[in-house]
Amino acid sequence: MLPEQPAKLLRIHLKESDRYQGKPLYEAIVDKCREMKIAGATVFRGLEGYGETAEMHKSHLIRHDQPILITIVDTAESLARLVPAVEEMMDTGLIAISEVRMVRVQKAATPNERSG
Amino acid sequence: MLTKGPAKKVTIFINEDTQHHMMALHDSIMTFLMHKGVSGATATRAYSGFGAHQLMHTPKVEVLAQHLPIRIEFIETAEKVEEVLPTLYEMVSDGLIEVQDTTVVRFAHKSAKPEPKLPHALKPGPATLLRVFMGEADKWHGEPLYDAVVNKLRMMDIAGATVYRGILGYGAKGHAHKRSVFHPMRDLPIMLSVIDSPEKIAAAAEAIEEMLEDGLIVTSDVEMVRLVRGKTATEAPNAAGTTR
Repeated sequence: MLPEQPAKLLRIHLKESDRYQGKPLYEAIVDKCREMKIAGATVFRGLEGYGETAEMHKSHLIRHDQPILITIVDTAESLARLVPAVEEMMDTGLIAISEVRMVRVQKAATPNERSG
Repeated sequence: MLTKGPAKKVTIFINEDTQHHMMALHDSIMTFLMHKGVSGATATRAYSGFGAHQLMHTPKVEVLAQHLPIRIEFIETAEKVEEVLPTLYEMVSDGLIEVQDTTVVRFAHKSAKPEPKLPHALKPGPATLLRVFMGEADKWHGEPLYDAVVNKLRMMDIAGATVYRGILGYGAKGHAHKRSVFHPMRDLPIMLSVIDSPEKIAAAAEAIEEMLEDGLIVTSDVEMVRLVRGKTATEAPNAAGTTR
């Protein structure tokens, strides 16, 4: 069993139609994470949901407006750097942080560039 | 009641025509085992064989064809075997009884009629949430890794697992996982989430670590609000969780 390290899990809830400087907000956030050398980020699309503005987010015939969830796992310090930057970019949405224990599995022979 | 884990396997070799109280011995052994509530027994007729008498029993020679060997097998818990063995010892006047240690991997039985749906019971309690991050193209012995992991967890009696496919992401490998027309071979991010008791999750994490080539395993403490249907309440938990 590899050693466990304490880490933080950050979840950002937003909607697919959110935009930032012309491109989808979730893409912009992932780019921002890369730029800030955050360990990794994963974007999930929900089927249906509702949020702050109490409007249903669901798939329409012409307009996709489903809920989006971005999950990021990294150290507390890295996330502390990231959160203000993301807040800046977001209009309406939710950011949630929880305590986790993480195990990095990396058996591949070639070491990859990674921070955090 | 037979469960997964260590058990005993009993094999009995007898002659087809051996009598026991005016009945064929194999018939009375099978009746006895059923009466005793043994989980299951199988009697098979062999093609040919010989025993202590050093006489080949084979269907090729008509005179010897009535002495064909019968083999009765059953698997039960050590206690149950202990319970039935003295009587079997008594019954098998001519033949052989063998007991060996074995491991039951799966013991599933479908009941003829569907079990009645009992009302849900709420089972709150602390639990651990496990998340595993990997790529869709990751393979484990040729099959998709997420598939292999779910199957493994199922075999380990883990309460439940859900696989999510992301639409975009990057991680340890450094490359972006994104759907594109130029890359028909998709490698989208995959997240697997599992909720169960801390001990079971620890075992699951270890098993997943073995299978995972490159990825991230994250655990966190959660408050579980379990919904279970009547009878299964005492068995493996069926989890529906809320994250903290």
